[in-house]
Amino acid sequence: MSAEDQLHRRLRLAGTLLAGGLLTEAICLLWARPLAFIVLVGLAGLLVAAGIATYLYSLVSVRHPDSSADVIRLK
Amino acid sequence: MPHATALLVSLVLLSALLVALLAFRPSVTSTQGGKMFAFVVLFLLPLLCMAMGVNSEVERSKSTQFCLSCHIMEPYGHSLRVDDPNYLAAAHYQNHRVPADSACYTCHANYAMFGSVRAKLHGLRHVYIQYFWNPQPPLHLYDAYNNRECLHCHLGARSFEEGAVHNADPDLLAAVKSNQTSCISSGCHDTVHNTSQLNKMKFWKGAP
Repeated sequence: MSAEDQLHRRLRLAGTLLAGGLLTEAICLLWARPLAFIVLVGLAGLLVAAGIATYLYSLVSVRHPDSSADVIRLK
Repeated sequence: MPHATALLVSLVLLSALLVALLAFRPSVTSTQGGKMFAFVVLFLLPLLCMAMGVNSEVERSKSTQFCLSCHIMEPYGHSLRVDDPNYLAAAHYQNHRVPADSACYTCHANYAMFGSVRAKLHGLRHVYIQYFWNPQPPLHLYDAYNNRECLHCHLGARSFEEGAVHNADPDLLAAVKSNQTSCISSGCHDTVHNTSQLNKMKFWKGAP
C-alpha cells in the first residue's frame, strides 16, 4: 500500500469517526433530556476526540516518498 | 427550539457534512488548499462544535425545566407553586428572589470555589442514581445544606442584617454566618419543599 493510500485510509477513518461524533452531538442538542448530556460528553466527545487523534496521527505517521531524499540533501 | 440551539445544530450538521465530504474524497488533501481545508474541517471545526455543544448543554442543565424533566423531581416542581409564603422554595420562586428559569440551580449550586463544577458532578451522580439505583422519595441532599448558599444573596441585605428576629439574640447572626446555626434546620426557615404535604396545599396558578 502506497503512502498516499495509507494517508487516505486514515483520513477516511478520521472523517467517519468525526462525522459520527458530530451527528451524535446534533441529536443530543435536539434531545433536551438529562441523559443527552451524558451521551454528548461520553459518546460524541469520545468519537470526536478519536477522530481528531486519528487525523493528527495521519499527519505525522505517513512518510512522504521524498522525505529520505530531503534528509540526505540536508546532510 | 431556541435560536441559539438551532444555529448550533446547523453549524454541527454543516461540519458533519464537510467532514463526510472529506471522508469520501480524501484526495482533495493532495493540494496545499486541500490540506488547509482538511485542517479546518477535521480539527478546528469539530473542536469548536464540541466546545459550543458542551457549553450549551451545561447552560441548559441549569434551567428549572431541565431539573424537573426527571419524573422523581415533579413534586419538587409542584412545591414551587404552593400558595403559602411559609414555603421557602415557593416564596423565593414566586417572588423572583431567584431567577424563575434557573430556580433549582440558584439555590442548590455550591458557591465555593469550583462550585459549578461540583454541581455538575452532582448532576452526573443524580443521573447515575436515577438509572441504576431506583431512588424513592423523599430525596435527600448528599451533604447538609450550607448557609453559604443562602448568604450568597442575603449577606449584606438590610432585611437579613437588621431583621428583628435575626437580631433578637445577639449571637444569632454570627452563628448563622459561620454556619453553626442552620437557616433551614434550626426551626426558623424549615419549611422548604415539604413534598409529603403537597396534597393538602393550595397552588398558585402563576403569573399571566
